[in-house]
Amino acid sequence: MAEAESKEALETKLVDKVGEAISAIADAKHVDQVISAVHSVALLLFPVDPTTRIGEKVSSSLVPCAKDERSDWSQTFYRGVAFPTFARVLLLDVASDWLSCFPVSVQKHLYDSFFLDGPVVEVVQVLVPFLHHVDKNSSVDANSVQTNVERLLILCLLENAGVLKMTKEIGDYYQGDSSRNGNLKPLLSRLSQILTSIPDKARLKSPPLLSSHLYFKHITNQLLQILDDRASCNEANSTDIVLSFVGEMFSRICRRGLSDLLLSEVTPHVLAHVRRLLNSNKGSVEIESFQLDPTSQIWLKTVEAVTDPYAVEKMAEQLLHQLYAEHASDVEAFWTIWTLFHRNVKHQASVRSIFVDKFLLWKVFPIRCLRWILQFSVLECPPVTNTLAKGDITQGLLETTQRIASVWSKGEFLQSVPLEQQAYITAALGLCLENMSREELDRKKDVMHNILQGVSCRLENPGDLVRKMASSIAFMFSKVIDPKNLLYLDDSFTGNAIDWESELQTAVGGVRSITSSRENGDGETKTSASLTEGNDSSGRNKQKKDRKSKDIANFVLADPDEIVDLATLNCGTESDKDDDNASVSSDNSSVTSLEPYDLLDDDKDLGKQFTHLVDVVGALRKTNDADGVEKAIYVAEKLVRASPDELTHIAGDFARILVQVRCSDITVEGEEDSAEEKRQRALIALLVTRPFESLETLNSVLYSPNVDVSQRIMILDVMSEAARELANTRTLKPKHQARGPLISNISDPQPWYLPSDASTPWKKVEETASFHLNWANRYERELQPKPGQKMKGKTRRWSLRSGDRDQSSTDWSQNRFPLYAAAFMLPAMKEFDKKRHGVDLLGRDFVVLGKLVHMLGVCMQCASMHPEASALALSLLDMLQRREVCNHPEAYVRRAVLFAASSVLIALHPSYIVSALAEGNFELARALEWIRTWALQVADSDIDRDCYSMALSCLQLHAEMALQTSRALESAGGKSSSSMGPMNISLPSGISKLTSFKLPSSNVLL
Amino acid sequence: MSKRPPPDPVAVLRGHRHSVMDVSFHPSKSLLFTGSADGELRIWDTIQHRTVSSAWAHSRANGVLAVAASPWLGENKVISQGRDGTVKCWDIEDGGLSRDPLLVLNTSAYHFCKFSLVKKPKTSLKEAEGQSNNHDEQDVEDKRNAQCTDGSVGSVGDSDLLQVTDGDHAESATYVAVAGEEPTEVEIWDLNTRSKIIQLPQATPDESASASTKERGMCMAVQLFSPPESQGFLHVLAGYEDGSTLLWDIRNPKIPLTSVKFHSEPVLSLCVASSCDGGISGGADDKIVMYNINHSTGSLTLRKEIILERPGISGTSIRPDGKIAATAGWDHRVRVYNYRKGSPLAILKYHGATCNAVSYSPDCELMASASEDATVALWKLYPPHKSL
Repeated sequence: MAEAESKEALETKLVDKVGEAISAIADAKHVDQVISAVHSVALLLFPVDPTTRIGEKVSSSLVPCAKDERSDWSQTFYRGVAFPTFARVLLLDVASDWLSCFPVSVQKHLYDSFFLDGPVVEVVQVLVPFLHHVDKNSSVDANSVQTNVERLLILCLLENAGVLKMTKEIGDYYQGDSSRNGNLKPLLSRLSQILTSIPDKARLKSPPLLSSHLYFKHITNQLLQILDDRASCNEANSTDIVLSFVGEMFSRICRRGLSDLLLSEVTPHVLAHVRRLLNSNKGSVEIESFQLDPTSQIWLKTVEAVTDPYAVEKMAEQLLHQLYAEHASDVEAFWTIWTLFHRNVKHQASVRSIFVDKFLLWKVFPIRCLRWILQFSVLECPPVTNTLAKGDITQGLLETTQRIASVWSKGEFLQSVPLEQQAYITAALGLCLENMSREELDRKKDVMHNILQGVSCRLENPGDLVRKMASSIAFMFSKVIDPKNLLYLDDSFTGNAIDWESELQTAVGGVRSITSSRENGDGETKTSASLTEGNDSSGRNKQKKDRKSKDIANFVLADPDEIVDLATLNCGTESDKDDDNASVSSDNSSVTSLEPYDLLDDDKDLGKQFTHLVDVVGALRKTNDADGVEKAIYVAEKLVRASPDELTHIAGDFARILVQVRCSDITVEGEEDSAEEKRQRALIALLVTRPFESLETLNSVLYSPNVDVSQRIMILDVMSEAARELANTRTLKPKHQARGPLISNISDPQPWYLPSDASTPWKKVEETASFHLNWANRYERELQPKPGQKMKGKTRRWSLRSGDRDQSSTDWSQNRFPLYAAAFMLPAMKEFDKKRHGVDLLGRDFVVLGKLVHMLGVCMQCASMHPEASALALSLLDMLQRREVCNHPEAYVRRAVLFAASSVLIALHPSYIVSALAEGNFELARALEWIRTWALQVADSDIDRDCYSMALSCLQLHAEMALQTSRALESAGGKSSSSMGPMNISLPSGISKLTSFKLPSSNVLL
Repeated sequence: MSKRPPPDPVAVLRGHRHSVMDVSFHPSKSLLFTGSADGELRIWDTIQHRTVSSAWAHSRANGVLAVAASPWLGENKVISQGRDGTVKCWDIEDGGLSRDPLLVLNTSAYHFCKFSLVKKPKTSLKEAEGQSNNHDEQDVEDKRNAQCTDGSVGSVGDSDLLQVTDGDHAESATYVAVAGEEPTEVEIWDLNTRSKIIQLPQATPDESASASTKERGMCMAVQLFSPPESQGFLHVLAGYEDGSTLLWDIRNPKIPLTSVKFHSEPVLSLCVASSCDGGISGGADDKIVMYNINHSTGSLTLRKEIILERPGISGTSIRPDGKIAATAGWDHRVRVYNYRKGSPLAILKYHGATCNAVSYSPDCELMASASEDATVALWKLYPPHKSL
């Protein structure tokens, strides 16, 4: 009681003292007065260095000298109201008005000591609120106040290891009086809240040390230091409370979004410890050694103290990433994760579900992390060297496998999840399967069913990678079912195990790099892919075949059995002569030495036996004569390209038969691709040479029930290729087909009727100029330069007009496609949505739909800037706007639609849009506007990365198109107003109305 | 590779617009005759590799089937056979063909069998003319059903006419053998008299024996030659549709001397070496057969059978020195063999279509091959050493 009384008295005294000092400061006219006032208080609390006393008027009346007394004073000062009150004055008034005048030493030893020498717990609580104390009305200079507070915080917390001190103080409290323990929890949480909020409260201009990155780095280091200290000295009492404080700090740091920073410090720390432990145990790792290890226990408790599930998740996630970055081995990683999380996982269902559900099904980690996750949370036993090890308890594995498999098998999952995640989950499923036995698989019937379902729905996907996933899983599955009879769905893959990392995840990465190319490139990559897609993994087959053919070549080149006879090499002719010499006298002996030439014979050149298309068609019909069909396919393109007259009549038939030929039936294994390619080339040639006839057939075949999906795809592929070729043919055609002279031979190619002494051949001058110039044939030749003559031009000509020779002698054929555009596009678009026998584009045959849309896009591009494009664009856009098409669940179709929409944007001539607007045809504007909104929508929400990037480039094209159109619109408007005559009449007020309400929006909307 | 790659042609003669059906060298000059399926007969200079002249020897629709020149005909004569039922003899004047043929034999034969001039051994030629080069007969081609009745009935009386005596070669060697109007028969015509002399087998009024020989089918190839052992009497070698080869002595037109069946498919080409003691034949099967002719016993014996990868030999030729032989194949290749040993020497790949004929020049320097790809290729393989 007396103690309490004396304390009270002390406090009153202190408050009085502080009050005096405050009023002195308030009244101060000179800095010395302020210093002395502050000093008077400081003297009570700290052993102040007398040299700092600058003011002379120090009242020496109250000089507590005893150390004990001073600590009493100090305790009372900081615990009570005195400190907050005085701090307020120090931080506001002194800091803003006087501090800049303080000498450096005074500031350091007198002013700062109030904050640095006191208990951090209290100081921080006082300091932090002033960080953003902005009182507009007061006369205080906010800037200097805040700068000062920031400086003090840095000094207090970071440079003087404030957090470390703080935990000591907390421990002291804890030990000091247990009655306060009830208050401790809220205090700790308040403290941690204050500590972690500092970077947020700090101003933008605050020193870099207070920026969240550096600040939390320091704080984290201090926290780690604390943990280490606690691990080394085992004072159990306060440890728990300290650890819970640290845990609270961790969770708050994670909440602030700095889990990466936190774990980038924590992970190496723990990892180093784990490595140390592993090394000391020389490989023989037992759970006990970790369980008993004090550091591990400290960590366990700390992480257990992190009660916020969000923080736990973030920490675990970052831990995995950090371990990956640190190149931890499987064993090290396992023990690191184990050290931090095993108790959480065991005791908290939510944490467990983070690992088993979230990390497996929702997040995407590198495959190595996936292995750790599986090992830790599913297999639940330490790994053996670097392979996944299976414990005794397999229930978890079974359940997880079942869960993954059921997710994996769903078609919607395939459609709605980005490729990376698909690859990730596929790998997870594969790794799970790897660790299962047949009996275990049999126990869960669903798994088998789900896997088969998933494989089958993936195998018909157009994406190479998706098919690869299917084949990988199928392989793993077959390995579980029957290890001796492995199922290879993929030709290129022949190994015994699958490297999930390189097979799937890096491949996904590869896809990313390709699709980031621009729109134009996109079209090309797509088509190059389209052919291969059509052929069902032909690329790989091609590789294989290349390998084969190379082998053959090598074999031929290095025939080990061949006998090299040097004599024959060197004196072959001589021996011949000798031979014949001798033969005159005695023929028998001589003949023996006739040296044979190389007798190697192959039948490469014998393929071209068909010389008439009719024969080819006939041969193709005889499907039982595989050789004949093959040969016919091989020559078909050449014959078609020759474009004989008969082609017109048989083009339709021919196209139909080419579509129906089954390349796989007629060719030997491994040769299908070349035949397939030849067949497609022939079809392309047919489409190019006789578009109308062959298109009629192809379009009728396209939706007929007696072709299958692959044939439909092939037809569409071929059509797009043909469209491209038609659009790009810029062949140089000689206008006159030069008739060769009647008689010629190889040594002298020059016609007889030309001067024979010419050193260079004569050429007829081709002239197609006006009629009167063309009265006679003229010939020209190049003269060889005389010695010493300067070459001025390359040739000399004697002709009246030689300037236009290049133009007249050759015929630049231009884009021929627009003529046929309608024939290409309209029939295919007409009934695409009709569900017929064997045809269901909107549903099952989405690949065909994608191809169709892509083909239409290609057609648009090929017809671009031609009037036909404008005519066809509307109907194409109509088709694209169908909800079933543009919002198709398959990304493949959406990609195609984006491509087609972009093609439309490219293909439309701005002037056409202008004229459409001028005519009041707003349908087009609406359709174009739809493209924009839809592309925006895709860019916003599509899960497919390709779709996203394509949508972006589509938007870009849209913007360009809008710009061009608005320019054209302006110029058209200007013309209409300036020019006289019919123009003015034909563009009535509508145009001005149009521009007035359309133009502002057209920049954005069109 | 240790071995030499097969050579390319030394020259390619282009100019024909259709399949070149036959090729033949001039017996002494450096000229080459070619006939194409559109009826054009061309004469080429084999040194300059140029066309010397060109003429429509036969109608376009029918075309030239065979051309041949022979020392026994004279320096300035060439004979062509068309599928219009005629054999025409032309005069070569000033490097060009005469406007009209010297004579026309209306054989009324519309088959594919190439005609044959008389081939005589070198020695007899040398004696006769003092001039070394003998003419290498062209491949003998398809001949339609020369049905050779085995029947022995028939007169022997005509045989005198067919004796080619050494002293009288110029006159008596002007015979032409050709599958007749009835394609199962072989007819022999005299160019001097422009008349048919004999047909083999000689028609017999009574024969039932012909039934057996009908099975042989059409005559596809014929070769006329005059072996030294037969005192100048002509012999005929004829190949038939069923793959059998018959040897006839003109003196006995009713019965062939011998009948052998080397081939399993129609015999398309026959060639007898200039020594007249053997020959080579090719057919539609995958075999090339080399055989000996034994005149004392009147028999044909198989000497060597070569199996081919791909069937079809449409032309054969043996070099006048009897060292090498060449075949023209349906598989676009010209194959060269060591005639004595029957071993393969070269496979010549140049032509882009079926080869129709091969022929050696009288001086053994050049070989010409004719092909359906409208080209004629000249080759120089194993040139003989020119000894004085």
